[in-house]
Amino acid sequence: MDALLESLARTVPEAIVCLGLLLVVVLDSAGGAARRAIGPISVLSLLLALVALSRETGAPVASWSGMIASDPLSALLRALILLGTLLVLLSFDLGRSRELKGLGLGEFHALLLAVAFACLLLASANDLVMVYLALEMVSIPSYVLVAYLKRDPRSNEAALKYLLFGAASSGTMLYGLSLVYGIAGTTSIAGVSAAMAGSLPAGSSFGLWLAALLVFAGFGFKVAAVPFHFWCPDAYEGAPTPVAAFLSVVPKTAGFAVMMRFCFEALSLQRGGALALVEIVDWPQLLMWISVATMTLGNVAALTQTNMKRLLAYSSIAHAGYVMMGVVAMSEDGGRGVLVYLFTYVLMNLGAFGVVAAIHASEGSFDLRDYAGLHRRSPLLALAMATFLLSLMGLPPFVGFFGKLYVFGAIIARGPEFYWYAGVGAVNAAVAAFYYFRVMRAMVIDPETGTAPALSLGGREALALCALAALNVLPTLAWGRVDEWTRAAMVLLPR
Amino acid sequence: MTASAVVFWVLTLIVLASAAVVVLSRSLINSAFALLATFSGVAGFYVLLGADFLAAVQFLVYVGGILILLVFGVMLTHRIQDLDLRAEARQLVPGLFVAAGVFILLAAVATRTPWAIGAGRLPSATTAEIGRAFLGKYLLPFEAASILLLVALIGAALIVRKREDA
Amino acid sequence: MNLEPTLAHYLLVSAALFALGLLGLITRRNAVQALMGVELMLNSANLNLVAFSRFGTGGIDGQVFGTFVIVVAAAEVAVALALVLALYRMRRTPNLDAATTLRG
Repeated sequence: MDALLESLARTVPEAIVCLGLLLVVVLDSAGGAARRAIGPISVLSLLLALVALSRETGAPVASWSGMIASDPLSALLRALILLGTLLVLLSFDLGRSRELKGLGLGEFHALLLAVAFACLLLASANDLVMVYLALEMVSIPSYVLVAYLKRDPRSNEAALKYLLFGAASSGTMLYGLSLVYGIAGTTSIAGVSAAMAGSLPAGSSFGLWLAALLVFAGFGFKVAAVPFHFWCPDAYEGAPTPVAAFLSVVPKTAGFAVMMRFCFEALSLQRGGALALVEIVDWPQLLMWISVATMTLGNVAALTQTNMKRLLAYSSIAHAGYVMMGVVAMSEDGGRGVLVYLFTYVLMNLGAFGVVAAIHASEGSFDLRDYAGLHRRSPLLALAMATFLLSLMGLPPFVGFFGKLYVFGAIIARGPEFYWYAGVGAVNAAVAAFYYFRVMRAMVIDPETGTAPALSLGGREALALCALAALNVLPTLAWGRVDEWTRAAMVLLPR
Repeated sequence: MTASAVVFWVLTLIVLASAAVVVLSRSLINSAFALLATFSGVAGFYVLLGADFLAAVQFLVYVGGILILLVFGVMLTHRIQDLDLRAEARQLVPGLFVAAGVFILLAAVATRTPWAIGAGRLPSATTAEIGRAFLGKYLLPFEAASILLLVALIGAALIVRKREDA
Repeated sequence: MNLEPTLAHYLLVSAALFALGLLGLITRRNAVQALMGVELMLNSANLNLVAFSRFGTGGIDGQVFGTFVIVVAAAEVAVALALVLALYRMRRTPNLDAATTLRG
């Protein structure tokens, strides 16, 4: 009983989000005036969960009989997940959205909270059973969210493709997990590397390598890494814009959280001091190739897109490639790079999707050509979009710069044999600048066809976009604090 | 050859042959019925491996639930007059090469890897032990799974519901 | 030749089942049939888990894992068939290729 209460005390945010989800379901079925409380309740439960998380104390420990890792790393990642979900709910004016008009929003909130709840579990999963279950709990409500636009056949098609890809990659991952269980004889993540006791029995390294490859299929699907990315552009295009924004940041954060834990704790051994890792099988090499393919393909494909949702989808694929650099670096700096990148990515990508949603709410178009003359029709939107794009490009003083700085720094610190990898990343960042500039050129320079009237912008959207734009600059002024947070977070469970 | 070996080889034949029918058959109905044999054969393997609870779950959920759902899916998406229910395949030859390659890789791992083989778990009643595991070590995933089922229910109902509520 | 089933025998059966499931997934146009391929893949992984639980040092954990997999599969199939049904209502076809509103 004591152990149960102790475990519960380490998962208060999860419990709050779960209660919020159940409350939303009840309110939605009650109907009538009760439904008006759904939005505020969702926001409130996420806020309360964030507060509970910030007050969480205690030494790093595996709670829930080893299912959950309650350590500083999972705390920071869970904070990012809650922050991302909260920002999605606050910065998208669902009532003004053209796509969601006439569709009930009760299920929307319930499903969003369900994904957030599952992401919280995935980010702190410490057991293969928990990894698989949480990953599927993220996926299944995500499919439904993509299919939310019932009048639009594209929404349904996108969801079906997303589901088939998801089911295939999670099935592949499950096969890999079963091999890991067979090799290590345990389902505990830390137990996997402990079972090797420092040395792999001769002959099992190929088995474990293949198992790692199969498991990466599941993680790669969640973070939209090549070659598991095919669902991504279709799903973002078919899904309601807030859902696309949500999928591009929150499940991605959870996916990287579990990838990092699996790579660092199951496939590596701790040698020496804090986070001096030695890989058991050559997963860094494997992940490096996935990362190179991901950033290159994402950026090249983004160059020719004219639909803003698809453009942002390919850009989000490319960003996943950069984040992976931090995991490949396999060091404290690399891990901090992942955290910084994910944090800044939440701010810049949600902002970009917010602008896209605001333009669609008044223009009904996702086409880049309809962005012509935006600087005149809505200077605020154009300025906000420029901020987000420059941040996505990775230019100082915007926060996006720090993500790239950390992951590139961590890779270069690994030695000369990794310089070419950093070089590929740098070339990719330059390619990415092309299409981000193309959007800016469309907004500012491209000639307008006719004289479109000024864009109407809701007060809430304007406020949210201004706040997000400010958040893309302000953290730079107090970067020391962010740096400190990530340093404190890079503590894994004691063995 | 002992009885268990005979059963194993018979089950292997049933499972692989019916799985091949599921995958290669041109008729959806044949696929669905072959899947019945595959699921049952796998349940037989579970019995052979001493996993009686899982064998029962396999029958109840896979055969009684998932398969019925799939058959409904086949029936509801085809007009009754449309008797042959043909389903075409694409890229069969490249697909065969990929599948063969995957099989060779997995088979190499299966036979060459020194698995963590111990005394093993001799066949014994598992239900009580699994029940304790659900409410002990696996309490959190057990509870989380209930949320998953609730969400799947809401989601499925949302997708097929015709009326658009305001 | 030893015909007594050992761990390797089960793993080989499961590898074949996985390969067949993959074949179904990549070659079938019909969404329901592709889904059947996925189910074969899940069954093969489950067979692995139970076999390791029987012969390996993993104890009962593999069987508990397998039970969770079956629960997840049921939830996934329910959502999948809802989507197929909705697709059919809109398009009168359960085939994936016919659904071509989305590029690439």
